[in-house]
Amino acid sequence: MKRLGGPSRVGRALTSADLARSTIVIVVVLVVQNTLLDTVRVGGAHPDAMLLLPVAAGYAAGPDRGAVFGFFSGLVADLFLPTPFGLSALVGCLLGYATGLATRGLVRSSWWLPPVVAVIATAAGMGAYAILGGVLGDPGMLKTYLAPALVVATPAAALLAVPVLRFVAWAVPEPGAGHGSPSGRGSR
Amino acid sequence: MPRRTRRARRARRGTTIGLLVVASIAIITLDYRGQAHGVISGAKRAAHDAFAPVQRGVDALTRPVGSFLSGAVHGGDLEAQNAKLRREIGALRRQTLSTQATRNSLRALERLDQLPWVGDIPTVTAQVNALNSSDFAATVQLDKGSKNGVAIGMPVVGGAGLVGQVIDVWSSGCTVRLITDINSSVGVRFGSGGTLALVQGSGLGRTVAVNLVSPGTPLHKGEVLTTSGLQQAQFPPEIPVATITSFSSTPSATQETVSARPLANLAVLQYVDVLQWESAP
Repeated sequence: MKRLGGPSRVGRALTSADLARSTIVIVVVLVVQNTLLDTVRVGGAHPDAMLLLPVAAGYAAGPDRGAVFGFFSGLVADLFLPTPFGLSALVGCLLGYATGLATRGLVRSSWWLPPVVAVIATAAGMGAYAILGGVLGDPGMLKTYLAPALVVATPAAALLAVPVLRFVAWAVPEPGAGHGSPSGRGSR
Repeated sequence: MPRRTRRARRARRGTTIGLLVVASIAIITLDYRGQAHGVISGAKRAAHDAFAPVQRGVDALTRPVGSFLSGAVHGGDLEAQNAKLRREIGALRRQTLSTQATRNSLRALERLDQLPWVGDIPTVTAQVNALNSSDFAATVQLDKGSKNGVAIGMPVVGGAGLVGQVIDVWSSGCTVRLITDINSSVGVRFGSGGTLALVQGSGLGRTVAVNLVSPGTPLHKGEVLTTSGLQQAQFPPEIPVATITSFSSTPSATQETVSARPLANLAVLQYVDVLQWESAP
């Protein structure tokens, strides 16, 4: 996938411009989630673009930046959710890290790779969310809400994967060597 | 890549994820134990207040897109509806539809104005402006908040019965946990003897479970469950909650298995009343 930020941003430390871009990405996706995606409702569940943010960050920029991006995007999402505060941040950082680790070294030339990664990571993220919710004393998250959430959120993740990945890749530069780039550069 | 550099990178990576996980768990723990409740609820209120005008503006601009996406999901239903509408289209006029919509809203508001079980409890009429923001909770958002006198814990009723309870509030809106949410529990009473039971949610769109009903208790389908209003109850007494739809029992069971359907139509909520009633300490 072509990086929108340009090759000069590859392999360098984060700058204040990157942080500003990351903030824009999180706010824009939050607005899209709360105004558009929340209205697409099947069986009480809806697509979850906020959960795709750490996945896209891990995929585009590796485990470290995926984890950090996932933590902060999750923290912002938690401000608007009735579930325990910090749960999305925990799932976000784990998901960003795991996606970054699992996909580094992959050759990114296949068009189907981002949707497949998004579906698997969303399913894993939803499962982790429900399990951690159960651990925190809310077993119904696992028993009642997980199945409809998976049925709706995973196909939606496949559709949203490419635009969200492009948007996140614009904001979070890849760290360079040691990580497979979204465009196929730097893959080992 | 030199081995030492790779090892250093791996160690740094482990430190980053470790710190983030510890920070997340610390935040969850502080929220869970209520120690940072003021800070967290303050941050949530500020975020909602800052976001509300943005959401209203974007919502107005993108509503057609949202309707389109929602329609795309329910395509099969829409095709059937379209066929029906085509047959009726000659009789329908834009003005008529507009008038009808206004009448429906008015009727919904009038129904709220005549709730016999509200008594003299002051109410705040609010419009539902968003459904559940999380896939893991059954909640709705209302367009009235703390500046209108809404507070956490206040009961919310619809035209036919109890809808839920306010769990989060900011200046221009609030979040209501529906009685179908798995974390919702409502003390109820039913029957001529005033049998006490507990209504617990089983998920959005499902019936609710009626627990703590002793074996042998006389039960009837269609029987109405009303809030018990016991001391320290979270709801005032006599609010209709649900009607019994099925019940069964096994010889060794310690309680009857009872299901009930909420009286308020939670799938199509438009206007609701927030009762300005607070539980006695």
